[in-house]
Amino acid sequence: MKLTTFAETLHDLNVAREQGLSEIILGHKNISRFGKLSSEEFFTLSNRARELNLRVIGEWDILMTENTFNLSYPVVTSLLSGIDVLRVQDPGAFEWAITNTQKPLQFIAENGNHNLPALQGWIDHAQGRMDRIVLSIELSRDVIAEYIQKLTVPCELLGLGRILLFYTPRALISPLAPEKLKVNEEISVLGSSEESPHKGFPILENRHGTFMFHIKEFCLLEYARDLAALGLGFFRIDLRFGMQNFQSEVMTLSSHFEATAFDDFKAKYPQDFMRGFYLVNKTDVLFPKLKNHRLQKRDGDFVGEVLDAEKGSHLAIMIKNPKGLKATDKLRILHPKGEEFDIMIHSLKNLSLEEVTEIPVDQMAIIPFVNGVWVKSQVFYL
Amino acid sequence: MNKASFVPEILAPAGSLDKLKVAVLYGANAVYVGGQKFGLRTAADNFTPEELIQGVAFAHERGTQVYVVLNSFLHDKDLAELPEFVRFLADIKVDAVIVSDLGVVKTVREHSSIPVHISTQASTLNLSAARLWKKMGATRIVVGRELSVKEAGNIRREADIEIEMFVHGSMCMAFSGHCVISNFTQGRDSNRGGCAHSCRFEYSLDMGLDTEEKKTAYFMSSKDLEGLRVLPEFISSGIDSLKIEGRMKSHLYAATMSKVYSEALSYYASHGNFLSDDFLRWEIELSKVSHRDYTEASLVNPAGADSIFNERENAEGGWHMAGTVIEASPKAGIVVEVRNAFNQGDQLEILTFKGANISLSANEIMDIGMKPVLRTRPSTLIRLPYKPGVEAFQLVRAQSGVR
Repeated sequence: MKLTTFAETLHDLNVAREQGLSEIILGHKNISRFGKLSSEEFFTLSNRARELNLRVIGEWDILMTENTFNLSYPVVTSLLSGIDVLRVQDPGAFEWAITNTQKPLQFIAENGNHNLPALQGWIDHAQGRMDRIVLSIELSRDVIAEYIQKLTVPCELLGLGRILLFYTPRALISPLAPEKLKVNEEISVLGSSEESPHKGFPILENRHGTFMFHIKEFCLLEYARDLAALGLGFFRIDLRFGMQNFQSEVMTLSSHFEATAFDDFKAKYPQDFMRGFYLVNKTDVLFPKLKNHRLQKRDGDFVGEVLDAEKGSHLAIMIKNPKGLKATDKLRILHPKGEEFDIMIHSLKNLSLEEVTEIPVDQMAIIPFVNGVWVKSQVFYL
Repeated sequence: MNKASFVPEILAPAGSLDKLKVAVLYGANAVYVGGQKFGLRTAADNFTPEELIQGVAFAHERGTQVYVVLNSFLHDKDLAELPEFVRFLADIKVDAVIVSDLGVVKTVREHSSIPVHISTQASTLNLSAARLWKKMGATRIVVGRELSVKEAGNIRREADIEIEMFVHGSMCMAFSGHCVISNFTQGRDSNRGGCAHSCRFEYSLDMGLDTEEKKTAYFMSSKDLEGLRVLPEFISSGIDSLKIEGRMKSHLYAATMSKVYSEALSYYASHGNFLSDDFLRWEIELSKVSHRDYTEASLVNPAGADSIFNERENAEGGWHMAGTVIEASPKAGIVVEVRNAFNQGDQLEILTFKGANISLSANEIMDIGMKPVLRTRPSTLIRLPYKPGVEAFQLVRAQSGVR
């Protein structure tokens, strides 16, 4: 397993070389979400990286409307000579890069892409030019293990870095603090809500929009050895956002994990850590509770629902089954609390209170009141 | 009078079989629905298989198309259950599926020939991305809400693929499919139907070291999209389908949106313009439904600061739904299933399927057993005196706060 990371300065390149890295990711400010480099700075770092035998990965990870896309691809074109591998996230950037460049490609599949056919689909679409695929941090260990085995290109996973929760192209902070944007190219604030158990979400506004991050950083350093054993190709360290001075220490922990050193590191690091869903992803277990269980059984022998009940007088049932309701039908009525009532229909009327032999679908049937049955009870053929 | 040669489809939300019928009867050209799995509205009623059969039949009998959402980002274990459902959808002849995940696209194409529409969840924002999805087998792109109509029109021409755009409804502030706040803060996968709407929360923003700099704002909450005045641009740009957001919203919402937008486009189809005396009425109708402040968002220019809804969520609109007409005949009267209580003497409006609505005073209210009622109760049936023009499935509304 190799390490990969971002470089924003010549110092970052030197640290990468010292730590034995074989590559570096560069972000140009116009095409990378958090990139800070001008074109001149990009080429300065790219040239130096190549002198240090570091492969240069150019990151083009912004999402682009058509107008933004038309401004972005010329920037990419102008940088190509300084890029060994192009890393993209917008499917449009991916398609453009396949068609308009000869570069090896890395696809950031961190958003969604939680199944093998999707991931292999992206790889196949690159027609042999996919250099690497970047996996989602929402995947659990077992799934990652399977993907590493089955996908036909190396996989990359975030090892340490911020968790991006939210990305919009809209400027959300500067309207509240217009004076700040004039001074800086980006605005950083912390957001807290009484409706969330978490306090102090880092929020960043820059030229590409507004980004919100988790209060904790994603950290799999203690699983680095495990991931290496699984065959993970690349372990990404993202220390942008003011954590660059931890670079050497993190690289060392990634390559040679040692529990005591990790504890020391955690004590010093300004942010708490979380491992996300690495052990298990149960983000769908709450879904059954979101459902209205009363509404679950509406197929097969379902007749309809009681919409009106008058004690001693009548029940009004909205017929929902295309078979309709006949005066000879036997019914089971299920009270919302679960109690069941089996009945024979002695009288069947329509809404004009006329005795009829049948009520068709989408019309109301009036039958005599049944003790214990109330509105919202469900009716079934017996 | 110049008849228009091209008019976009109005695509309405149908969170349940009843809402599907409402949307169809109020003029939608197509509806989108969810099954019990694979969609993004887990808490919606959604459709059982039998209801899907009934819904497709009901819609097709009236010339309305039915699209089924399969737009979750599915994990492998979810995907394993998909082929059987896809074959079922093919058997009942749904008109398209709406998909955001490449694995789902491949599965649908492997097991059926149902047309595939790429969901807005995929955030398709540019021509190059549209071309990619077309190569993957998509026949339509529901483009991201960050796109202008002009940009979308360009994609439509250059990629030669159908384009669908949102014309009305609530909006994600984030790029769709790129928000995982619920996943990491509440343990609910927002891209599999568990969105907790954290973007609608009020946040205290610490602007710097000075604690006095804290500001409180609903800074991540978007105003609602309203594109009635942009219809000419949609048409001139050749946008194929105009989508109304809101499978979780009320019957009244489904009815009002379907009616207003289909009436406006019908007028355009007949006249070749929107210079209708009814235009103001359509705008008033849209304002009567519960909504956040409206914005045109990015339909014309990129959404700016004025697209942020910096207010507490407020469910009150000008009008609310009083009930649904179950039956209307001279013998039975107007039988209404009451959803929200109203009193004898209240002013009501019946939302007709087309044209001007019917006003009536609830002066005589009777229960089903023909006993007088002074104040109705939710989840009961009542009778009002018959009025011509009132039909089953029409909705009854009352002015909020006037009780």
